[in-house]
Amino acid sequence: MDKIKSRFDSPRSYFKGIPIVVWLLFLVVVPLVFTFIMSFYSSEGLEIEKTLTLKNYKLFFTDTIYPRILFKSIRLALSVSIISIAMAYPLAYMVSFKMIRGRNLLFMMCIIPLWVSYLVRIIAWRSILGNRGVINSILMAIGITKGPLEFFLYNKFAIAITLTYICIPFVFIPVYTALEKIPKNIINAANDLGANEFHSFLNVVLPLSLPGLITGFIFSFIIALGDYIIPQQLGGTQGIMFGNLIYSQFGFAFNWPFGAALGFILFVISVIILGLTAKFGSTEGGFLGE
Amino acid sequence: MSSHIKASKLEKQGTVLKLYGLFVFIFLYLPLFVVIIFSFSPTKTIVGMSGVTIKWYKELFQDKEILKVLLHSIEVGVSAVTIALIFGTAGAFFITKVRFPGKGVFRALVMLPFVLPGIIMGLTLLIFIKNLNIPLSMLTILMGHVSFTTPLVMFQVSSRLQRMGPSFQDAAQDLGATPVKTLWYVTLPMIRTAMIGAALLAFTVSFDEIVISYFLTGTWTTLPVYLYGMLRFGLSPKVFAVSGLILLFSLSLILLMTRYIGRSAEEVRVKR
Repeated sequence: MDKIKSRFDSPRSYFKGIPIVVWLLFLVVVPLVFTFIMSFYSSEGLEIEKTLTLKNYKLFFTDTIYPRILFKSIRLALSVSIISIAMAYPLAYMVSFKMIRGRNLLFMMCIIPLWVSYLVRIIAWRSILGNRGVINSILMAIGITKGPLEFFLYNKFAIAITLTYICIPFVFIPVYTALEKIPKNIINAANDLGANEFHSFLNVVLPLSLPGLITGFIFSFIIALGDYIIPQQLGGTQGIMFGNLIYSQFGFAFNWPFGAALGFILFVISVIILGLTAKFGSTEGGFLGE
Repeated sequence: MSSHIKASKLEKQGTVLKLYGLFVFIFLYLPLFVVIIFSFSPTKTIVGMSGVTIKWYKELFQDKEILKVLLHSIEVGVSAVTIALIFGTAGAFFITKVRFPGKGVFRALVMLPFVLPGIIMGLTLLIFIKNLNIPLSMLTILMGHVSFTTPLVMFQVSSRLQRMGPSFQDAAQDLGATPVKTLWYVTLPMIRTAMIGAALLAFTVSFDEIVISYFLTGTWTTLPVYLYGMLRFGLSPKVFAVSGLILLFSLSLILLMTRYIGRSAEEVRVKR
């Protein structure tokens, strides 16, 4: 069949593409274009002035407070990603290499928290760290403290721990998938050549699982960078992150054009970072494939 | 180093690792248990909890507002999943069966709503609907949910299609089946479980979604957005009861999902 050799299929087969292209245009591309255009408008009181201006971007780069919040969020996202890896990688390694029985069950149990309500998990951490929460109740019950300690909640630590909690499955899945794909005979070969477990991990397992690790790192970084609900719920006054800054432009600050500009800046950062995944990470074993 | 020492050392390393794994595991599950325990506690506390009560759950079922928003969430979820199944499955056929240039870029674009921070999807859609003068309503929330459920369905189904390969369809057509018959009798039965799994997954995600919905909600709200509003007044027993209910609901959906997701087409066929 010469059909196979051509780069294009018959024109009729392109009809299959209509629904997804319509979806893509109406829910992704056009909204992004509208946002991009709005980022060049300006806000006059409650009205949006529709003349194009660079005012919003100028404001972002000249006023030191906005880049500072962005860098604060980037630092937080970096720490969250690193802690998530420190927690998820050994877990994935253990499930993949140390478990003979019940491996599938353990795998499932590691990713179930991913699909459990995000809001419920936030409520869980508020109830652990809060004034009447678990930690304070225990401390008071055993008599270490008299009144509730308030420093558990409403700070960066509370945000970081909750974000880490959210991110762990996102690191676990790509790392586990990468580990599972390493042929066991390569590790056996390393061991036969005299490498102990540590050396074969360092020289064989770690390099081969690096794409999964990078994917996990980037996913958790992006989740942590863009989140605004967790800082709002657990961050208190220390917790104004880039996401909150963006959200407030659509809420009480009521400056949509500036919000659009901030949103577009976050979009560009995210796309650059996601581009790195495509280059160095593994797209297999993602959250969308089977 | 004698092999004896080596073996015992290996085992020891394994033990440390397993203990660490256990610690992470407790970290993952303890918070969920805390929520469940709180939801049954009559005194709003855990330490010194006296007995177990289902009072808060009973109150929940008398709360008309909560029942209403629960129904809203189910409505949005079912509608979003239905639309996503149509768009996503068609998209899956398009991306696996049709050759066109720039497929990599297209695939990346389709994935955007799932991999971008939710806040970006929320604000771009908000700006879009305001420009079209659509008032905030169920429709706008539904748009948000269709945006992230569609890629979910599409990639589940397309990875199934990819693993199946074209040989089954080719065989059917060689035996004289029309394209429609091939689709109905060969292809659809083979991707059916992937579609069911994707639908359950998409519903679970939609049922819990707040980051995007929060931007697109007016007076017509879903359960998570309503629950979020309740949080402004602190953690009440009712909040825990709603959380417990959501947990139960999500877990049942996940367990149901595991029956469909990750199973290959071949396995499904052999079973039949």
